[in-house]
Amino acid sequence: MATLDLQSITKSFGSAQVLSGIDLAIRDKEFVVFVGPSGCGKSTLLRIIAGLEASTSGRILIDGVDVSAAAPVDRGIAMVFQSYALYPHLSVYENIAFPLRVARLPEPEVKQKVGRAADILQLTEKLPLKPGQLSGGQRQRVAIGRSIVRNPKVFLFDEPLSNLDAALRGEMRVELSALQRDLDATMVYVTHDQIEAMTMAHRIVVLNKGRIEQFGTPMELYHHPATRFVATFIGQPNMNLLPATVVGTGPEGLTVELHGGTRMTLPVDTATARAGDSVEVGIRPESLQLGTGVTMHLRVLERLGGTAIAYGQMADGLKLCAALPGDTTVHEGEDVGLTFAPADAHVFDANGRVMRRRQAPALAA
Amino acid sequence: MTLVAEGAAPERMQRREMSERAFAWLLISPALLFILVIVVWPLAETIRLSFTDATLGGENFVGVANYAALFADPKFWQTVGRTFYWMALAVSLKLIVGLIGASLLNAAIPGKALFRVLVMPPWVIPVAIGVIGWKWMYNGYFGLISGLLQEFGLVQDRVALLATKTSAFYSAIVTDVWVGTPMVTLFFLAAMQGVSKDLYEAAWVDGASRWYRFRRITIPQIMPVIVSMALLSAIWTFNSFEIIWILTEGGPRGATTTLIIDTYKVAISSQRFGEGAARAVVIVVLLAVFSLFYLWFLNRVNRHYGAK
Repeated sequence: MATLDLQSITKSFGSAQVLSGIDLAIRDKEFVVFVGPSGCGKSTLLRIIAGLEASTSGRILIDGVDVSAAAPVDRGIAMVFQSYALYPHLSVYENIAFPLRVARLPEPEVKQKVGRAADILQLTEKLPLKPGQLSGGQRQRVAIGRSIVRNPKVFLFDEPLSNLDAALRGEMRVELSALQRDLDATMVYVTHDQIEAMTMAHRIVVLNKGRIEQFGTPMELYHHPATRFVATFIGQPNMNLLPATVVGTGPEGLTVELHGGTRMTLPVDTATARAGDSVEVGIRPESLQLGTGVTMHLRVLERLGGTAIAYGQMADGLKLCAALPGDTTVHEGEDVGLTFAPADAHVFDANGRVMRRRQAPALAA
Repeated sequence: MTLVAEGAAPERMQRREMSERAFAWLLISPALLFILVIVVWPLAETIRLSFTDATLGGENFVGVANYAALFADPKFWQTVGRTFYWMALAVSLKLIVGLIGASLLNAAIPGKALFRVLVMPPWVIPVAIGVIGWKWMYNGYFGLISGLLQEFGLVQDRVALLATKTSAFYSAIVTDVWVGTPMVTLFFLAAMQGVSKDLYEAAWVDGASRWYRFRRITIPQIMPVIVSMALLSAIWTFNSFEIIWILTEGGPRGATTTLIIDTYKVAISSQRFGEGAARAVVIVVLLAVFSLFYLWFLNRVNRHYGAK
């Protein structure tokens, strides 16, 4: 398998800059997920890696070899499309065999490779059928089978699960993770679904407006989001952001005053902060507990069993969300007092950059 | 009470169903009447005429005499053969040229919107006017083609393309293809644009060449349209009348006389309505058999390629 390096990749369509200054080093056998809102450039970046689209500038290296000018087939990549891109007039067998037929492999070899892929993906019984006779999940597996038979150095997935229903998506996530391990493959996977990113990726690239916001492990992104964007994008339900004003800095950290007058000292690096600065205090719903601190008027309570998600707003109209224990006794329509541990707070400056937390959970290397 | 209630409801429903059916008949009756008057009645009248010796002077029932004479006439069988040859050649050329044209128009070439418009004229301008244009070009005295051939020294003398049997036949084919190709092209183009781009990209990633993608993706994907166009085009070409009539009137010496021209000459020019009607009935039967075979074939193709 292989490493994949992107160096200063940019892409513009006319005057519209879609990607700017993308630098990435993806390791051998790594499962990397590109995630971001629609229009952030993640699919374009994948298509540039595949060779379906030319970058405006920059270099792509696979296993250290510059493939920027190479045709897709010569890059050693295989791609799985969102629409599956199966040939409706060909059987499952011929669909999986397609790349081998293009390469004019002898029939026994084709048979052996297709057989092995079908085996891995549990498609053996479906081989004589046409794609139209398969379920969504099975079609997806055929598309994956077609990529496996080529023994590519890098697998590229373009939102492969977005056409499946929720239950099947969950199943396929597990299958894809297992497949990645079994094949020992380098995989790049594009999605807009942060749950797919969090559950499958070794490392996640968060893209926004054509730039990399952050590149790190799922837990790094969760505990140490580099920007306000990453903080609100990763984690479900979304992180709460409370506007605050810096009162002072000290060895203990940053002292802020929340709207409503509550003062707190938060253990973050304060190098750039000055008294009077406007900041935002980010607090994840799961870090909020019942107590005294901020008051929320509870509007809707979603009981999920293990947890109960409370949605409401503060006196100044700011929306707030808290994940409370499943057996909580609060009721819709009540005013609920909420508190959080200062160590759980994230602080973002006016530009959306984070002030590094000092007491975040230790991260695995 | 219950009995009455149970009985009443289905009866009401039946009444409503009846009125719905009556309403449906009412809705289709204008079209039905139209078809009866302009299709069914003339067809029935033609069949009746074919068993008579009708002329302007009157008619007598002659049984199958018209058919017997027709089938015994070697010239009739020559005409049948010529008609099928005409149809096979013209349709094949229309399909091939249409396929090539549609592929070019579908490719990412600069100014393709302009080319798409330029394809239209043969189809848009009245057939008679276009064909008269071709008649001028084929003319030996002032024709463009003869002029160019002489200009470039390819021929010594002037060439009247419609004057000799072979050249007239193939010249008529060229004109027929010119008239019939644009529609085929546009239908193929529409079908090609309906093929998912992902299929081509997936094949490209797998290393398939342009020709391979055309052969293994485009052709199978648009096969149902190719077959449909082949059928429609075959019927139109078989029945193509004005192109041949304006160019050659079926000549020289019958070289471009197809069944439809022959029928017109007998029935209208010679006013032998009975004999003409017999020819028309033969055409209807031939086309019906041909269409049935084609529909069966189309059904098979759709089952093979159409499974989405």
